[in-house]
Amino acid sequence: MTVAETILVFVGAPLAVVLVVALLTMVPAARSRRPRYKPGQPWNHDPIWYEPHPESTGHGSDHGDETTAIGSSVYGERHGADAAATHAVSGGSSALGASTTGASVARAPQPAGPLGGARGTW
Amino acid sequence: MTRALELESHDTATTQTAAARTDEGVDTVFSFRELARLDEALTMSSRETGLRFTLYVGELGTPTRARAEELHAFSGGNTSEAVLIAISPGQRVVEVVTGAAAARRLPDRACALAVLSMTTAFAGGDLVGGVVNGLRQLSDQAGRPSALRHH
Repeated sequence: MTVAETILVFVGAPLAVVLVVALLTMVPAARSRRPRYKPGQPWNHDPIWYEPHPESTGHGSDHGDETTAIGSSVYGERHGADAAATHAVSGGSSALGASTTGASVARAPQPAGPLGGARGTW
Repeated sequence: MTRALELESHDTATTQTAAARTDEGVDTVFSFRELARLDEALTMSSRETGLRFTLYVGELGTPTRARAEELHAFSGGNTSEAVLIAISPGQRVVEVVTGAAAARRLPDRACALAVLSMTTAFAGGDLVGGVVNGLRQLSDQAGRPSALRHH
């Protein structure tokens, strides 16, 4: 085995393996790069309000106002005022009075008595 | 938001019709997978406890508590059973607001504990993970509604 062969086997081969593994781990991460939140950075997004899906799933429920046909949406179809609440997460941006789209629009304020809760900072 | 869904709308919209949901543009705050986690956490904790958990992410202004309580009145449904988690990442503040009925099952101390675990995750930059864990703690603390317990 010449010197060149030795170097190729004992240096080149491990390096090649390390490079392949490094590429496999780093390429997918670089591809799906999205602005990640880091504490201390300004938050330049519109306010969003996420809501849970409505209570009933449309299976054997006694809601007369709901489509229970087979093949309808898993969450059942809502009509009228309830319809807005159906688009739970996608309902999206409601800047409280400022916006005219989204789920939580045109809701009258409903103060709920003595409020509780907690605050945290980080 | 609709990143994994179809972005092009094939509806019968004309120039006169209102904007469709797909016209609003893609929401880049959270990825689709993160949104799915949030959705499931909110839905399942609300369904388990009978309370209505909602999550607000955005500026709260000052004072944050007053604004969060103002928002809570708009959270829809029976607001006395509503629990609002309001996060202002820019101000690094999280507020949990519970309505009068919800506060009986979620005492302030339980909320403070959930907030503590949320802020730990937020400090590490993990907004969604913190919210999901906080919701889990809150719904564990609240338990099942008494109407369901007697079945």
